[in-house]
Amino acid sequence: MTEDRNDPELRPSPDALLVEAAKEGRGRLKVFLGAAPGVGKTFAMLEAARRRRADGVDVVVGLVETHGRQETAALIDGLEVLARKRIAYQGHLLEEFDIDAALARRPGLLLVDELAHTNAEGSRHPKRYMDVDELLKAGVDVYTTLNIQHLESLNDVVTRITHVRVRETLPDRMLEAADEVELVDLTPEDLLKRLHEGKVYVPHLAERARENFFRPGNLSALREMALRRVAERVDDQMVGYMRSHGIAGPWPAGERLMVCIGDDALAPFLVRAGRRMADQLKAPWVALHVERGTTGSQRNAEGALGLAERLEGRTSRLVGADVAVEILHFARRNNITQIVIGRPQGGRFARLFRRSLADALIEGSDGIAIHVVTPPRPAKAARRWPVAALPHLSAVVTAVLGLGGVVLLGLAVPDMRSLPNVGMLFLAVVLLNAVRHGLSAALLSAVLAFLAYNYFYTEPYFTLTVLHWHDVLALAVFLVVAATTGTLAGRVRDQMAGARARMAALQTLYDFARRLGKAKTCDELLHAVVLQAHRLSGRPAMILLPQNGMLEIRYSWPPDDEIEAVDKGAANWAYNNVEPAGSHTGTLPSAKWHFRPLRAGAGAVGIFGIAGAPEALPADLAQTLDAMLDQAAVAVERIDFARKVALAETLAETERFRAALLSSISHDLRTPLTSILGSVTALRRDPGQFGAEARGELLATIQEEAERLDRFVVNLLDITRLDAGAIKPKREWLQVAEVVETAARRIAGRLADRRLARNIPRDLPLLRGDFVLLETVLANLLDNAIKHAANARRIEVFASVEQGMLCIGVSDDGDGVPQELLPRLFDKFFRIQRRDRTVAGTGLGLSICKGLTEAMGGTIEARCPAADGRGMRFTLRFPLEKQPAPLEPSEARA
Amino acid sequence: MTAAPIRLLVVDDEPQIRRFLKTSLTVHGYDVMEADSGSAALRMATTAKPDVMILDLGLPDQDGAEIIKRVREWSKMPIIILSVRGDEAVKVAALDQGADDYVTKPFGMNELLARLRAALRHRLQEQGAEPVFILGTLRVDLARRVVTREGQEVKLSPREYDLLRQLVIHAGKVLTHRHLLREVWGPAHVQDTQYLRVYVGQLRHKLEADPTRPQYLLTEPGVGYRLKVED
Repeated sequence: MTEDRNDPELRPSPDALLVEAAKEGRGRLKVFLGAAPGVGKTFAMLEAARRRRADGVDVVVGLVETHGRQETAALIDGLEVLARKRIAYQGHLLEEFDIDAALARRPGLLLVDELAHTNAEGSRHPKRYMDVDELLKAGVDVYTTLNIQHLESLNDVVTRITHVRVRETLPDRMLEAADEVELVDLTPEDLLKRLHEGKVYVPHLAERARENFFRPGNLSALREMALRRVAERVDDQMVGYMRSHGIAGPWPAGERLMVCIGDDALAPFLVRAGRRMADQLKAPWVALHVERGTTGSQRNAEGALGLAERLEGRTSRLVGADVAVEILHFARRNNITQIVIGRPQGGRFARLFRRSLADALIEGSDGIAIHVVTPPRPAKAARRWPVAALPHLSAVVTAVLGLGGVVLLGLAVPDMRSLPNVGMLFLAVVLLNAVRHGLSAALLSAVLAFLAYNYFYTEPYFTLTVLHWHDVLALAVFLVVAATTGTLAGRVRDQMAGARARMAALQTLYDFARRLGKAKTCDELLHAVVLQAHRLSGRPAMILLPQNGMLEIRYSWPPDDEIEAVDKGAANWAYNNVEPAGSHTGTLPSAKWHFRPLRAGAGAVGIFGIAGAPEALPADLAQTLDAMLDQAAVAVERIDFARKVALAETLAETERFRAALLSSISHDLRTPLTSILGSVTALRRDPGQFGAEARGELLATIQEEAERLDRFVVNLLDITRLDAGAIKPKREWLQVAEVVETAARRIAGRLADRRLARNIPRDLPLLRGDFVLLETVLANLLDNAIKHAANARRIEVFASVEQGMLCIGVSDDGDGVPQELLPRLFDKFFRIQRRDRTVAGTGLGLSICKGLTEAMGGTIEARCPAADGRGMRFTLRFPLEKQPAPLEPSEARA
Repeated sequence: MTAAPIRLLVVDDEPQIRRFLKTSLTVHGYDVMEADSGSAALRMATTAKPDVMILDLGLPDQDGAEIIKRVREWSKMPIIILSVRGDEAVKVAALDQGADDYVTKPFGMNELLARLRAALRHRLQEQGAEPVFILGTLRVDLARRVVTREGQEVKLSPREYDLLRQLVIHAGKVLTHRHLLREVWGPAHVQDTQYLRVYVGQLRHKLEADPTRPQYLLTEPGVGYRLKVED
């Protein structure tokens, strides 16, 4: 057994386990499947529900149609029924299933009839199965009913058998994802009997269609389809079980199937055929559409790709001139083993001249199986691969004018006719048109040129008959040469156009990537995304980001800060489900905007919105947009991370600051308070004991310590205001000398025996700044010099203009500080520890100096040694501003 | 001191401040009344008619500037305001509203007494202004428009003289930038502090012994200028 486990073939398949895991937490879905209306699905569902209720399950009827049948109504009796939601639509009041009520009620088991039902416009989802899907995601168990004819992949088969087009279709995945499927079976005979007894309600079918539908042959076919589906399911379940339990079995090889569709009416048929084949092969599949360089609407292809998405296929769109090359390239890249294409179009004659897509594919497909599918009856629609689009009107005009010109020339100059190489002139026109207007224009010109040549230039003139056999040869050669060269030139031109389109798309992405790389802030980035989307699509675009748990418009172009409630709902849905929503999607399609999530990691970091239009976005634009959004999402995430890191650092910084502040307060406030309190209590206790000198000493202590306390409080206030960003410097004109003097006056009492020198030129320009703040900075620098340059004899304040900057500084000739401590001087609460601890600074002064100087737009620098290997110098530098208007000349020199 | 004692009204909401002011000022011969709110201050100002009001700007019930405005509607009594550092804008507003001088908390008694004396002198001068002002070696004769230093006449430009004259007639009191600019350069120039900075510099060079260490013409940071008086 242990040995078996080591065999990789026998280990449980990770994929199978993942599927099992994904189902956890999700509600269970049971489908009551019938072959036709009237077999008793609703009845069976209600019976099963009643049994569950008898077991104690909380059963609620979300929506069940009784169609007036007594026995069905009797089964509902006693069950809780949710009120239906009323939706006004074109004057009618429609009743629909209320998904919000169901989500709010959260029953143990919910009954929802008719899984394939289409909801009224204005509902959250256009289809009921989407409602059910959301309920399942929310963890609610659901019972539902379904008729086999509504299955998407069987849709065209059913139509072919019954000749009734079923409009309401359901993706096969819903049935596949069901945890249980119960077949409600009734023989065609019994069903017909019930029908005649009037026990069957058949919705939406006209009398004739109804007769068509309920024919014994049809019913047998439908029954067989339903039975086969359920049988396949049982087989699937068995295989799934074997896989997840590591039981060896005959697994299908790793097939991958690709359906290639063109822009024609055949496309949906190919998609369905591909899906059925993929099912039989148990292979993943992809639908591919290659757009040629020519532009224009690709409505058929887009519709078919949409269908493929609903049928659970991957889809891909490429732009390229050579369809076969693009298909094969894509197939190799994606390890495709099977390619499905439509039958080559055009008659046998056309195929003689042009190699079909099938031929090209078969030639280049080493090891890839090519399936050519033929439609049931020749579809009328004309345009298929690889036929080029009809030539543009301007191409026709060019051809007619050019050829007309040649003809007129021939009529005006009779000698022209005798020229042997006159065909060259026509050829020139054909080539010209091919180069300018592409392949189809080339072919058109070639035919016209052939006719004109024949009519005007071959004997007998002015008829299409040909007299000489050598003219026949010339004409034939001409036609072949014109068609060949024209086709070649046209193809080159088409390829060029394709290459240019691809270049443009690449360029757009490249430009955008560069701009993203440069964006430093989230807003710059979103700005770039929205502007680019607007530029590409010509429609309004916006980005919504979650803020305080709500999606808010962060940036939009043209600026718009309001969207309607339904749009808001769509945006929120897109954000929560990480799926597109709004216009042209399956969720809230009545919204005016189309929203796509910015996917990053497991969820969405935001939502991109683009204004909806009658037409969906063109394929290439949608793809470019998706690529852009992916890049943007990564960038948003990156910026978000950076912001979080910065925030964490700020928090840590604040925490350090708070700790330092607390220790500082406890020390720096307490020391002076101790001296003051001690001196005062001593004086009060024994007033008579102190001589005049001792009393004077104590009183001086009190005053000095109180002043120190005041300075400390002032420092604390300054640093707090700086931290809070509460300092708004004034911008007035200042005389530096005056500011220096005021600061000097403030510290004069503490200078002791040190000399304060001033070195300020009289003609120093005025400085633009805040008097009080600059004075605080200078007083702090002077105070710092007094405190820390203990053995300094001389302190100097200087000012000068250097390199366009106004420099003001304070220097001393003390010991300075150790080099390695210089960078930390301006840190808050940084103090240099001294052995004697004589000077107790607060560690705030220089930090305040830095903060205030920077607030005024200046810089501060500390240098040590200042001169002659000694001393310390602090220099403030402010930009020198244009001086105010000079005073009246008569007064300036008075 | 045979004349009736000068009556002070101290307005502050902190009882400790009122207690220390009352004790110290009474010792210096003033008759001190107390008010703990703006409304009480206004009531007492009208009923008791004090000679000087010492007003704290940080009252809980009323804006200090509003009280000054109300008092100025009917009285020219000197008002000295108490404010905290960093509130230069509030101080300037109060001074422009009509307050006479200010002291920044925390302050020393010497400073407050000097402000009181200056304010009271100013009040007396208004009754009969002295035309000659003497400060150290400096002598300003307002009647003859002559300024001498150490006996030597000092040549002043008309604006310099106007500026000095403003400072002299309000000697000892702080004058805001706005006040000086309005009186000397006219109402259109109340924002042009650069004129003031330059002219004050020029006056210092002409009047002070060491212009970098002025003894007479003092700067009040963020507020204005004050001409020192001899006590």
